[in-house]
Order: sequence, then C-alpha cells, then structure tokens
Amino acid sequence: MFFQQLVNGLSIGSIYALMAVGYSLIYSLLNFTNFAHGITVTIGAFCTFFFLTYLVKNLFLGILIAVLIAGGLAMLIELLGYRPLLKKKARRIYLLITGLGISTMCENLVIISFSSRFRVYPVNFSNKSINLFGASIGQVDLIIFAVSITALILVDLFIRKTRAGLAIRGASFDLNTTSLMGVNVQMLILIVFMIAGALAGLAGALVGAKYTAFPTLGTNMTNKAFISSVFGGLGSIPGAVLGAMLLGVGETMISGYISSSMRDIFAYALLVIVLFVRPAGLMGKSMEDKA
Amino acid sequence: MAQQEYILQLKNVVKRFGGITASNNININVPKGSIYGIIGPNGAGKTTLFNMITGVYNTTEGEVFFNGKPINGLPTHIIAEKGISRTFQNIRLFGDLSVYDNLLTACQKNITYSFLDGILRSKKCRLQEKEMAEFCDGLLEEVGLSNQKKQRANNLPYGMQRRLEIARALATRPKLILLDEPAAGMNEEESAELSDFIRSIKNKKNITVIIIDHHMDVIMSICERISVLNFGTLLAEGDPDSIQNNKEVISAYLGVDE
Amino acid sequence: MNYYWIGVATLTGIYMIAILGVSILTGFTGLFSMGHAGFMAIGAYTSALLTKTFHLPILVGVFFGMIAALIVGLIIGYPTLKLRGDYFVIATLGIGEVTKLLLENLQGFTGGARGLTDVPGGVTFPMVLCFLVVIIWGLSNFLRSKQGRNCIAVREEELATASIGADVTHYKMLAMGISCALCGISGALLAHYMEYLNPTMFNMVVSDQLVMTVILGGCGSLTGTIIASMILVPLPEILRFGAVQEWRMVFYGLLVVLVIIFKPSGLMGSKELSIEGIKKFIGRADKKGKER
Repeated sequence: MFFQQLVNGLSIGSIYALMAVGYSLIYSLLNFTNFAHGITVTIGAFCTFFFLTYLVKNLFLGILIAVLIAGGLAMLIELLGYRPLLKKKARRIYLLITGLGISTMCENLVIISFSSRFRVYPVNFSNKSINLFGASIGQVDLIIFAVSITALILVDLFIRKTRAGLAIRGASFDLNTTSLMGVNVQMLILIVFMIAGALAGLAGALVGAKYTAFPTLGTNMTNKAFISSVFGGLGSIPGAVLGAMLLGVGETMISGYISSSMRDIFAYALLVIVLFVRPAGLMGKSMEDKA
Repeated sequence: MAQQEYILQLKNVVKRFGGITASNNININVPKGSIYGIIGPNGAGKTTLFNMITGVYNTTEGEVFFNGKPINGLPTHIIAEKGISRTFQNIRLFGDLSVYDNLLTACQKNITYSFLDGILRSKKCRLQEKEMAEFCDGLLEEVGLSNQKKQRANNLPYGMQRRLEIARALATRPKLILLDEPAAGMNEEESAELSDFIRSIKNKKNITVIIIDHHMDVIMSICERISVLNFGTLLAEGDPDSIQNNKEVISAYLGVDE
Repeated sequence: MNYYWIGVATLTGIYMIAILGVSILTGFTGLFSMGHAGFMAIGAYTSALLTKTFHLPILVGVFFGMIAALIVGLIIGYPTLKLRGDYFVIATLGIGEVTKLLLENLQGFTGGARGLTDVPGGVTFPMVLCFLVVIIWGLSNFLRSKQGRNCIAVREEELATASIGADVTHYKMLAMGISCALCGISGALLAHYMEYLNPTMFNMVVSDQLVMTVILGGCGSLTGTIIASMILVPLPEILRFGAVQEWRMVFYGLLVVLVIIFKPSGLMGSKELSIEGIKKFIGRADKKGKER
C-alpha cells in the first residue's frame, strides 16, 4: 500500500514538477507570476483529446501535438499580452493583471467551445498494473513519471549545456546586463515562454490521460504548481522540482491514509506553514538580500 | 574636532556584494551645516555610500553615525524619520501624482493625526492639512514650481523633475539632505541656478547637504569640503583648492585644465 | 417588477462594498489579490452562524463578520507583505481556495456544499445604501489624509515612500486590513440578504470579478470603481440568456488586457468626480455651444 501510494505520489508530483518548472523559469527570468500558465495546461489536455477523437488515435502523437500547440500558445501570450508591457517597463502588478485577464478570457472561450463536460480520452495508457516489490503499480503512473522526468532532464540539459541556456541563466541574474552584452533578450523571453508552455502542455496531456480533460483543469493544477514553487523556493528550478515531488507524495499519502478531501487542504496548509516559517522555501536564497 | 560637530560620520565602512568590494575602508566626517561633496568616476561607489547611509543596505563592516548615534542597519523609513532625506540618481518621483501631491505626501512625517482622525476628517486633521497645504504652497514658490502645481509629475520636463525631487526631499524638513547627481543633464545656466539654490538651502534652512555630482563647476563652487572616491576607496579629502591641485585626483578623475 | 429592480440594486450595493475594498488594495495601494472573495466568505459565514446560533441582531453579526475577515487578512498579510516577490499574491490565492475547501468540508458547521439555510434576514436596500454612503464618505476622507496618501505612494514608488519616512509594510497592512474588513461586511450583508449561503458564492471566479471591476473602473479612482460596479454587477442579471455569461467573461478578460496595455487608468483616468470637475465640464460644454 505504501509503495503504491508512493508511486502514485511521484507520478502526480512529476506532473506538478512540469508545471512548476515552467512557472519558475518565467519567474526567475522576469520576476512575476504568469497567471496565464494555467490555460496552457488546459489547452494541452484538450488538444490531445481532440486529436485522439477526431484525427489519429495515437496517444504519443496526441501528446506531442499538445506540447507543440501549448508551447505556441504560450509564445503568442507573451507576444500579445506581456511584451507590450515589458517594453514599457510596466509595474509588476500590471503583468499579473494581464495574466488574469488572459486566463479569464481563454478559460471562458474553452467553456464556450467545448462545454464544461469532463472528457475521457478515447485512447489511453493501458490500465494494466505491474507487480513491483510485492505491490501493484499502475503502468500509467510509471509512464507518466518516466515521461515527465525525461522532459525535465531535457530542459535541464538545455539550460546547462547550450548557449541559449547560458544566456537564460545570465538573464535570470540580470536582465539588463545580459541585453547590454548583445544577447537578444526578446528572443530569450520568447524561448523561455515556449519551454514553459511546452512543459505545461505536456502536463495537461498527461493529466488528461490519467484522469479527464475539463476547462478548469489548468487553473486547479497551476495552484499546486505555485505551492510547489514557494515550497521549493520561488525562483529556484531545482527547488520547484523538489517541492513538486514532495507535494505530490505528501498529498497522495494524506489522501490514501486519511481522506481524499484532506488532499487539497494539506497542500494549502503546507503553503501557510512555509510562508510563516521559512518563506524562502527549501532551496530559496536568503530573504535578507536587498536589491 | 569634537564628535558633536559632525552631523554624519562613516567609520571604516566596508561594503561587499558577494565577491566584489564596492566600498573599502571609507572614513568620512561631514561637519554640521556644511555643503559636502563626494566625487569620483562612475562605479567608484558613491551611490553605494548613500544607500548605506539611508538604510537601503547595511554596511558589511564599519559604522555610520548620525549626530553621534549609529544608524547603519536601520530600515530606510526610520532613518528618514531621524532627519535624513535624499534624492535619487534615477529619478523616483510619485509619477502619476501631481507636483503638489508629491510634496504633500512627503509632509507625512510632520503630520501627527491618527487613522481615525483621517477617516472622520476631525478638527485636528483639517487643521494639520491646512498647515501642510500652506507649507507646500510656500515650498512650491521657493523652488519655482508653482505654475506646475497640478501637473502630473511624469509629464514634467527632466529639469523640473529633478527640482521636484529636491523639493520633495525638503518637504520632510530634514536635518541632512543627500543629493545624488542633482545637476545631471543640466546646462551651465541651470547648474548655476542649482548651485545658488543649494546654497540657499544650507543658509536659510540650516540643512547640511551632501552632494554627489560630476559637474565640477557646481561642486567646486559650493562645496566646503570634498571626498574623492575611486574604485571604492578614498583617494583624497579636503577643500576644493587642495582637491583641484591633488595630482592623484587629477590623474584619476579630473584631468588637466579643469 | 419594482421589487426585482430593488433587489438588483441591493445586490449591486452589497457587492460594491467589497469592490471598494479591493479598490483600496489594488487600485490605490497597488497590491494584487486573487482571493478576496474568501474574505467575503469569512464575513458571511461568521455572521450567519453567530446570528443563527445565538440569535444576535444581524448588525452585530455583520460587525463580527468584519472583525473575523480583518483578523484573517492581517494574519495572511503579516508574513507575506514584508517580502519582495509574489508571496502575497500566492497567499491570497491560497486563502481564497482554503476558505472554500474548509467551508465545503466542515459540513457539520457550515452545511458543506449543500449550503447553509435559514440564515436570519433583514437586509434592505436603505440599509445597504446607508452602509455605502458611510463607507464612501470614510474612504474618500481616508484617501485625502496622510495615511491614504502614503498608501498611494506605496503603489507609486516604494523606495521613495520609505525615504520620506513612511513604513511601506505598515501601509500595505493597513490597505489589506481595510479591504478585508470591507469584504467581510459585504459578505455578511450578502448572507443576511440571501438568507442562504453556499461556498460557490465565494469562489475564484468571484474574486477575479472583484479585481476586474476595479481595473475596468480605473486604478486610483473611487468614482471609477463605483461606476464600474453599477454597470458590471447587475449585468449578469440583465443578460440572462444562452452562453452569454461566458461571453461576458471573455469580454471582461479581453477588456482588462486592453485597458492595462493601453490605458491603465481605466474609465475615469484616475480622476474623481468633484464639484470643480463638474463645473469645468459644464463650462467646456457651454463654451462649445457658444462657439457654434
């Protein structure tokens, strides 16, 4: 039972990690919370659903399409919604509000176009379980975990080993200086949004596969991503992953051993505790450094 | 000199940011009622000193004394309450507010009515508001911005914005005012006007002034003493004549025939 | 028919109180909250449960509802408002969600998702109007006072605000307190008007609408907030057909983005309705008439 819950927890945690990393990338680069993050998750879920229902019944392709479209959507959101404000060096609150506006607009468009019904994927991962260490583990969870970790490793390699990744790391530290050094910061921001969107789309598709697709899926899930990031340390990418995994496992344990209605309460209680006890989170920098 | 004659003292102040030493063993003593200049090439650490004095950061080592009491490490608003105000290198006005409101807001230090007084608009509140309104009108006259009273601060031309920032710093009725590059972007005529204005601040209002600037015409004409910084270290200290004739200062910063 | 429109007006007035609260927080002090409906919920359920259990008069209930919301708000604000970064926003998101979750799960107390019935009634339009007049008067005085100006300064430029001697965190807490108290009052009045409560009445969609109304009315203008509330709150009532509710939200979302990008000062352009302003407006219109 414990092991089963652990795997389940890691599976959901890895989905949270996908979203938390995307959110953290944008946060560490531009220092604001992208409230439109949720919609890219939702779109990912719906893209896969419609692809599978109306086009090709191949789950792998469906997920790939979700990743591409969500990434593209994220770039569009940056270009139309955030870039005009970033150019004006607008106050951070304006960026937050725009995110809210975009999220509201798109979420309701989804409801209008696709109704609020829960959609089950016509083609899905097999429901079979494997026997591992004496416990019955769903194949779904293993696949989700594997896919998510692979995606995260790819992103990590990109950030650490490529020139673009180096530019992103430099820009996270100091955007102005990076641009003065000749880096095309606008392109950089676009790339970061694309990566965040792609990860979000993947997360959406996986959630859709494991459960169902519905219009408010994105906003529900991204709240967990925010909590993961605060827990792990706002602005820290490894922190986001750690926070997400711990949250996923913690939630699942509570849900399994106590009750499923306590699951979300646990997540928010964790948030409150972190904010009071150690706002910098697990891996955040010391909060005393002033600008 | 006796301790009390200095309004501000920096004693062995060091500031490090990670691996970089922005300020290295700085010792500065500013006599009360004087106009004191801090000059040096860009990146020498001048604004860092202002930031440490006003509590934006704490010193890594060393102390800052205001009227004999240590203030380093205190929050900015507490230091402001003690009587130190400043202007900023990159203008930080309350942009969306009018010129008048920028000043009125800054009067807050001298207003004592409570939150309750405010929402009920009590007699005490109305009285103090009237006092402050008169004070602000007077201040506007002094700085020559009366005609721009209702103008949005961000819409003002650059030179007037700088003037407004100084006026706002004066509205807090400080004992010490720090001016960070107040003459930036000004021509000769404007610089001369500014010099006169700074002198009048010191004379009429009995406020000590510390000024950072690159306009040597302003610095040399109004400062009684000057400290020269280079790469975070103190290069020289003295009156304008000795600074102008100091060989090291000339080679590091002033150049010949200045 | 008359009763219907009075009902709409009463509801508009009740929500306007909450929206005014969010206006002080967001429009004037520049703090963003994603969960202020949670404070309405705290006010509503506190008042409803107290009056139902102890048979207190509803105004006493409203008072305690306000206090409860205020206390929770300050508890949330205390650790988060002094930090740089998005901690405060995320915390408000959290409080909105937690309140709804707790209300749904503590069925014994709150009736859970089915709702709380038999809440004592007694809220009338004149009562709401009284609340509004007093609150608007108080807020407009506040904004003309030292404390109000300091809150506005915080929105404009935090470092400069500290440099004139004002404690930035203190004023952020003040704005948070005022906004939570007003949302608490609003929620409590709602409870005693509807005589029924349900957690979905205070979900994130409601929080979003509170903020969006403030934005569309214009950050930094009480008049703008009031006008926007009068137009946007009754709209769902007037437009009760088809998928219009969702299209309305699409439209709001789009409008908010456009307003923020092109005219952040919204409808009223940060200006307030005043006697001078009206005189000027009439003067200009008069002039144009004479020129013809």
